[in-house]
Formats: sequence, C-alpha cells, structure tokens
Amino acid sequence: MNLEAQIQATVGSFELDLQLTVASGELVAVLGPNGAGKTSVLRALAGLTPLDAGRVALDGVVLEDPAAGIRLAPERRPVGMVFQDYLLFPHLTVLENVVFGLRSRGARRLAALEIGREWLERLGLETYASRKPGTLSGGQAQRVALARALATSPALLLMDEPMAALDASTRVEFRRELRRQLESFDGVRLVVTHDPVEAMAMADRLVILEQGRVLQSGSPTEVAQRPRSRYVADLVGVNLYRGRARGNVIALDGGGSLTMAEGADGDVFAVVHPRTVALYRTRPDGTPRNVWEGRASNLDLEGDRVRVRLEGSPSIVAEITPAAVRDLGLDRGDTVWIGVKATEVDVYPS
Amino acid sequence: MGSGRWRIMASSRRRRGGPAAPPLFILLAVVGAAFFVLPLAGLLVRTPWASAWQLLTSSEAITALRLSLLASLTATVIAVVVGVPLAWVFARIPFPGRAVLRALTVLPMVLPPVVGGVALLAAFGRRGLVGGWLEQAFGIHFPFTTAGAILAETFVAMPFLVITVEAGLRGMDARFEDAGRTLGARRWTLLWRVTLPLVRPSLVAGAVLCWARALGEFGATITFAGNFPGRTQTMPLAVYLALETNPDAAIALSLVLLAVSLVVLIALRDRWLGTA
Repeated sequence: MNLEAQIQATVGSFELDLQLTVASGELVAVLGPNGAGKTSVLRALAGLTPLDAGRVALDGVVLEDPAAGIRLAPERRPVGMVFQDYLLFPHLTVLENVVFGLRSRGARRLAALEIGREWLERLGLETYASRKPGTLSGGQAQRVALARALATSPALLLMDEPMAALDASTRVEFRRELRRQLESFDGVRLVVTHDPVEAMAMADRLVILEQGRVLQSGSPTEVAQRPRSRYVADLVGVNLYRGRARGNVIALDGGGSLTMAEGADGDVFAVVHPRTVALYRTRPDGTPRNVWEGRASNLDLEGDRVRVRLEGSPSIVAEITPAAVRDLGLDRGDTVWIGVKATEVDVYPS
Repeated sequence: MGSGRWRIMASSRRRRGGPAAPPLFILLAVVGAAFFVLPLAGLLVRTPWASAWQLLTSSEAITALRLSLLASLTATVIAVVVGVPLAWVFARIPFPGRAVLRALTVLPMVLPPVVGGVALLAAFGRRGLVGGWLEQAFGIHFPFTTAGAILAETFVAMPFLVITVEAGLRGMDARFEDAGRTLGARRWTLLWRVTLPLVRPSLVAGAVLCWARALGEFGATITFAGNFPGRTQTMPLAVYLALETNPDAAIALSLVLLAVSLVVLIALRDRWLGTA
C-alpha cells in the first residue's frame, strides 16, 4: 500500500504545489509553520479541495487526475480523516458518531453497531458510548475521532493536528497512546502538525512544508542535522546560511563569508551549531579560521546555557556558559569578536 | 488635557453608578414604553372576565379558532417544506440574481399585507398569472377558499422561517459537512443526519416565528381570501368583525391571540431577549 500524490491546487489566493509519497507502514508527518498549507494538503487528498492539476493515487488506484478527467468524490474515497478540532457531530452520541461512516457506506444497523462497539472497546471508550461529544475531555474526543475515522477501515488515514486541542500536560501521554494506536493500523498514515517535538517524536519521516511547497523531506535526524530552511534551523536551534562555495570559502547570500575545512563548489547550505561559536573580548590570534566582529543584541538564558544573538556579517547565535558571559563582562549592545573553526562549518549542497 | 481627564472620570462613573442620561431622555423612554404597556393594560382591564369563557366557546369563536389553527399550522408545514430548501440555496449556492431573489423573499415582511393580498390575487386569482391554469389543470382555486387563506398566511409568514434558517446555515461550521463526506455520507444523508440536526435550533425558532405570524395574519387574508365564517374567517378576522357587533367577544378573542404571542416570545426568549 502506498500513496503517491502530485498536488497542484488553489485555495483562495494560496497555491499548493507539491509532491508527496508515503509508503504503508511509514508514518509521515507534514511539518510547517501556520499558513504553510498543511491542512490544505489533507483536504486535497481527501477530495474536499479539487486539484487544478496533478494526480493522487492510492495503491495504484487513481483517486484524482484532472488531466484524465478523474475525480472521486470525498464520500467515495477510502480515506479516514481526523480533523483538527475533531468535529464530532454534537447531536449524536459517541457510538453514533463512530458508526456514522459505516451506516453512510451502507452497513446494516446491527452490524455497524457491533463494529462501532469493538472500536470503542479497542480505544478504551466503551463506557462513553451513549455520551454526547460535548461532555468528553479533549483526550477522549480525540480517541472518538480516531475511532470514527478508522471504523470504515480506510486505506489512508489523515490526521490534522491531532494533539492541538489537548492540554500540554496530557500531550506526551496521548502522543505515546496515539503512536501505539497507529501502529496497529496497516494503511497509509499522514499526520499534519506545527509542533516539531510532536513530529520528531511520532514520525518516521518528516516533510517540511512552507508556502505550499515541500522544502525538505527526510528522517527526523536528517532534517535536524541538515536543515534546508530558516524555519527548520530555528526549530532545531542552529545557524543556517545559504551561499555560493568556491574552494574553501563560501560567500554568504546575506553578506559575509565563511571558511570551511573541505572544498566545495556551487550553491550550498552551511550549518554552524551555536555551541561551537566562541566569543572573545579582543581579536583572537591563530586558531579559528573564521573571525569577525558582532554586536550582542540579545542574551537569553536557556537551561544551563546562554544564547547570545550577535548582529554582524554574518549574524550568528552563540551558546556559551553563564560563567563565560561573566568572564567576558558581556551585556546587550557590547561588541565582541566571534570565532568559528573551519571544521565546525557543516556544508551540504542546496 | 483637562477635558480628557474629565471624560475618563465621567465614563468610570457611568460604569459604576448606572447611566448618566439627561432627564428629558429618560422621560422620552418612558413615553416609548407606555406605547407598549398601555394597550396591553387596556385589553386586560376591559376583558369581561366573567363571560370570557362563554364568549370563547361560542360556536363562532370555536369555528374561527379551529380554522386559524388549521390554516396557520398548514401554512407552517408548507413554509418548512419549501422554505428550508430555499434557505439552504440562499446560504450555500451562489448564483446570479441571488441577492434580488433573496430581497423578494423578504419583501412580505415589510410589504403592507393588503398589497400582498392584491399581489396574490394578481397571481393566483381566477384571472391571475397562474390562477386560471391551476383551476383548469387541478381544479384548485384560491380566492375565497380555505386554501386561499393558507396561501395568504404562507406568503406573509414564510420569510421569517427562511431568514432564520438561512442565518443558522450560514452560522454553522460547514466543516461538519466535510467530516460527514470523508465518512462516506452522500448528499441526502448529509442533509438529514448532519446539516439539518445542526441547524435544528434555527429551524425550530423559524417555524415558531412563522407559525405566530401566520396565526396573526389579517390583511393579505381578507384581501385575497375574503371573510367567510368557517372557510376563510380566521381569528384576527373574527376579532375585527366582532368589534362592530360584540366588542366583548372581540376583546376575549384578542386575549387568546395575545396569550399565544406571549408564549411564543417566552419560548424564544433566549434568541430575542438575550439573557437580560
């Protein structure tokens, strides 16, 4: 089982243009800032937003292909969707919500009720069967929404911010629980989230979406180590630069340059981890290959470290110990020397 | 600067100590309130309580009451059957001329009912736009029949249902319908099991308002359907007629209509009167 999607769609003035492949057994998280088009991707896959061009195929069966005039209506797609705020029908009981899909797809009442009860049992919800959704907690509602989406045995499960409506305190517990539930589902699974921790903790693969386009895709480790956008770099807390490499020197797009250990040629990304950035009162001699001046615009205590934001060419974030801050006598507005070893500049093609 | 400070003090006083309006303004408000209180008080004071029951159970009164209930309930059912789909179309389907059609639908709410009656005659009268054809093809004729009274009441009352249900549909989160579709619901299932249940409060409120308006209909009914006891003489018409011959009966009948209006208002108080 797998999903192959090439999506080109217009939502208002927003344009979606991306390619997405998900294998069965793989849990893919679409991660991106608010307004990146994450929900629109799910709506397009579910058939709620028509494609302008492209193709959606599930297990080789084409669900939509505008060029070939194929468009399967949402109600005919083997797709289950968990909406952001769950959208449980408030006028129906929990059990009625769960059997809604089965009944709509023509199952007999008694058979549907039996399957519905099995699902409630599986998710530990049997005692809530006759409750109305309005009386449930966020976590219970989330599980009902999952049961409702899975009850029709879809081939593709779409989840839109499944944790967003939960308290921060219950999120970790429910993430583990959701991960466990999802493991027993053998269809194609796609989760959308704006929470990097959630994405990294749950997904086998991340797809980074920004402004309707895929910027990067890979395992959480890969993405964290080799970010390809400011958004991801900020998420994992590293300095990301883009520039043109020639020999050992990268001319950065935003001004300034960095010297690296190995040689490269062409457009590259360069990552410098804040912990490898050294600060000096006076110009250091010798060791570091990259030395320039910067003005400290911000100091933030994070855990046992201080993150110092330095404006210069280029600007950079350094992470040093509180003791080092004291020794330097560093305060906001001070100008200091910045040193980065050539071996600490990680370079990869853009 | 000084005046700014005074303004701040004045506004904080208003919040704490109630409104600081000029006395004349308050006086005008009292006059305004009297417009509503006095007629009702007059009706209650002039009611012949001793003979009220006898007046209300007279055969004329019973006939009018029965006809009123039949006509207004039938009008409400018709309004629901065709008004809900119309409201749905207005709320969901953009088409050229929608604004115009919508305005026409609401028109009976502001149109003098007599004019409405004349318009109905022009359309459904014996020589009206479709009246002659309806009579020939189906043998239905409206003027001076109970069917005509029902038609007049539907015409005047349905807008209340349409605009209430339309507002409900527009206010509803349409993503519930998306959720229904991803679960496999076809159009009818979606409508019956998702959309209509979700707008049920608006539907009930609209139907009640529609019924109350139909029950009180006078102008269009008397113009279009005439004033025949047992056929088109509904309660309001009976009240008007009784005023000439038997004022006590008119007042007793009015009291019944007043009670109905009050019950409706109380039933819908959350919607119209807020929580105050």
